Amino acid sequence: MHRLRRMTALLLGLATFTLPLGPVMAQDSPSRGGALVVAISADPGHLNPAITTSGATHTAAELIYNGLLGRDQHGDATPDLAESWTVEQSGAAYRFRLRDGVTWHDGARFTAADVKFTFEEVLLKFHARTKASMGGVLAGIDTPDDRTVIFRFKQPYAPLLQQLDATEAPIVARHIYQGGDPQTHAANVNPVGTGPFKVVSYRKGAEIRLARNAAYFKAGLPYLDEIVMRIIPDANTQVLALENGEVDFLWGVPGPQQNHLRADARFRMAQTSYHPGGSNCIMTVSFNLDRLALKDVRLRRAIALALDREAFLSQVLFGEGKVAMAPISSEIMWAHARGLSLPRFNRAEAERQLEAAGWKKERDAIRVARGVAGVVDGTRLAIDFLHFPTFAKYGELMRQHLGAVGIDVNLRPLEPAVFAPTVFKDRAFDTNVISYCNGPDPEIGVRRMYHSSQIGPAPFTNAAGYRNERVDALFDQAARTVERDRRTPLYRQIQEVVVQDLPYVWLVETPTTRAWTARCAGFKAWTGLFAEEAFCKR
Amino acid sequence: MTAQYLLRRLIQVLPVAAGIVLILFVLVHTAPGDPVLALAGEHGDAAYYAFMRHRFGLDRPLPEQLAVYVGRVVRGDLGLSYVHGRPVARVIAERVPATLLLTGTALALSSLAGVALGVWAACRRDRSVDLTVRAGALVAHALPPFWLAQVAAITLALGTGLFPVQGLTDARQALTGWRYLVDVVHHLALPVLVLAAGELALMTRLTRTGLLEALRMDYAQTARAKGLSERRVVYHALRNALLPLVTVVGGRAGMMCTGAVLVETVFAWPGVGQLMLSSIQTRDIPVLLGIFLLVSVTVVVVNLVTDLTYAWLDPLVRYE
Repeated sequence: MHRLRRMTALLLGLATFTLPLGPVMAQDSPSRGGALVVAISADPGHLNPAITTSGATHTAAELIYNGLLGRDQHGDATPDLAESWTVEQSGAAYRFRLRDGVTWHDGARFTAADVKFTFEEVLLKFHARTKASMGGVLAGIDTPDDRTVIFRFKQPYAPLLQQLDATEAPIVARHIYQGGDPQTHAANVNPVGTGPFKVVSYRKGAEIRLARNAAYFKAGLPYLDEIVMRIIPDANTQVLALENGEVDFLWGVPGPQQNHLRADARFRMAQTSYHPGGSNCIMTVSFNLDRLALKDVRLRRAIALALDREAFLSQVLFGEGKVAMAPISSEIMWAHARGLSLPRFNRAEAERQLEAAGWKKERDAIRVARGVAGVVDGTRLAIDFLHFPTFAKYGELMRQHLGAVGIDVNLRPLEPAVFAPTVFKDRAFDTNVISYCNGPDPEIGVRRMYHSSQIGPAPFTNAAGYRNERVDALFDQAARTVERDRRTPLYRQIQEVVVQDLPYVWLVETPTTRAWTARCAGFKAWTGLFAEEAFCKR
Repeated sequence: MTAQYLLRRLIQVLPVAAGIVLILFVLVHTAPGDPVLALAGEHGDAAYYAFMRHRFGLDRPLPEQLAVYVGRVVRGDLGLSYVHGRPVARVIAERVPATLLLTGTALALSSLAGVALGVWAACRRDRSVDLTVRAGALVAHALPPFWLAQVAAITLALGTGLFPVQGLTDARQALTGWRYLVDVVHHLALPVLVLAAGELALMTRLTRTGLLEALRMDYAQTARAKGLSERRVVYHALRNALLPLVTVVGGRAGMMCTGAVLVETVFAWPGVGQLMLSSIQTRDIPVLLGIFLLVSVTVVVVNLVTDLTYAWLDPLVRYE
């Protein structure tokens, strides 16, 4: 009978809505030993996170490595391979003091030469984010002794401390990779790191088995003896495997199944905006400002007013997330502007804006142009909306909401690899929705959306084609300003301007939900070293 | 059937394989989607994407890429995987045993059980057994494997607690020897059941129909008139009824590879199907081409085996 109830609840759970998450449960005192089985969504192919930004590789491999710095739950930098640091020359140089006594998994000593090699020969060549953000401004890396690393920049560079964790800059061993091709090196599937766990075996397509690194430089850590990364591509199967006791930890839970898991005392859940593939993401509607009709801010404002963003939160995300209240994620607390006047859902006002812009309601339900500059009178107000197939529900709501004010929306689902060239290279779209991940610093994930230099074929940059000299100047100034309290007002000014210009509509912030078995605790959901301090009752 | 015939058929495989390579190469390369973007994600700059495109040779004209690829294939080299950074042949070979185990077991199970059920139903025509088997076969044939897999996982695994829902082995223990074999069979049960269900239904219906038709033939009536038992008559008729099934089983070999994509994905079975799906998502073109080539050649070879089996089963069939 109990099983029947579980099955019924599960089947119902596939189609039910969920409620916002409760607080993370209190943790027990740590104990040594035990194993943790983690479900991961894809075979990473290799285990070298320094040569890729692939979420699959980073999810599976970050526990094997360390960055110079870590990050706490607020996203602030913490010591990791570097025990301390100083900012010099107003942010044009950063000096790091490395920990003493750190060894690689093969017993070799970790030194500053490893850091210099990793950046110069691996990260700045193959890690897309590090190369794109740092490659043009880094003047050089000095290593005056084995425990000191100095980064010299051509100009003050603000975001560096947010770019040195195991996600953005994992440090690899020079003595392993030197002289070889980092992309095809045998060590990519049999890696040597400094991290809390080392690789025991990698069965392709099936699992990666990690064992405790007894020589880990953080005393007493890790607690677990073993971690098994089990590859389970289907998200529903992952949940079933958790319920069946086959796995202990999930990186994400589909919205419809969250209520069901939350109601079960055998599991714990926590929300986080961190993900190795991209953090602090906002689902964002882009307007193609090259289109004549969409150049009119009244039409853009009307669309923003017609979208009920609460409905996106409840019907698409099942409550997992929050309505975006500013162009910068609320998770970057120091840069997120509060109290902005973003257009709120108001269908009547949307209709008034459309009328004022010359889009009139006549016989048909769809509006037509009457005196719109550059548009032939009688033209129907029809726009296309490009989206990944996984974002189909955003499209459905978009069509429903805009249809109610007389705008016809033509949905065009495109695979990610097709979507990007269509939007950024061919610019063959009217509107689209993109999950823009702000990253740990606005300089990494926000600048690309608004700066005019970011208009071009490079994917997931300035999709709107937005140009504003003042915004460009403010971004440039913020990038050169190291002190956070001086950067905050600059980003506030940027957000005030773009909220008026509306090149985008910021819909919802989309954190993900981790779930794990209640007999385990100590997870750091906000970092790739998520199980460094985890422990499980036997 | 002579050795010359066999040799001629084997040689015929070569132009077919060459045609397959050409068509697949053009199809995969002209399909929308940028492998570099899939690999690099969304934060790279233009220089990075150009660097990676050059590294993979994707900046060269398509005919040149094709010439390079064909040259490699002729030498037995399927290239390097973009995602795995290792030889494609090795990447695929690592997954073949799991897929062979899954599809081979499902094919054998569905063939044997399908024939048995078909004979059982035909021998009890229009009785409750026949009606039940026919209805069951109809339903099983109509169910989409993806949906059936989800339901099987929820009911038979989670519901009874008797089966695991994912993987080839138990993640919690690294077993060896006969314990490992038992563990694999335990994990194999549900995916095989789901994959075999549709095939089983088809085989059952074909066997029943073929046998009923054969039992109405003159030779069957003659056999009965001569006093042979019904069991002997069925035995003789069955051999003729099975001939069309050989074609069906042979034709299903390729389908089993592609059909396994869904089942392997739902049950996290580490086979070629799962690799194919992830390679499509990441636009890992060398791996995709390698898999398509493998499946195509498998179908060609299985067709050849099917033709040869015909001659063995039917003395009237001769090859020259």
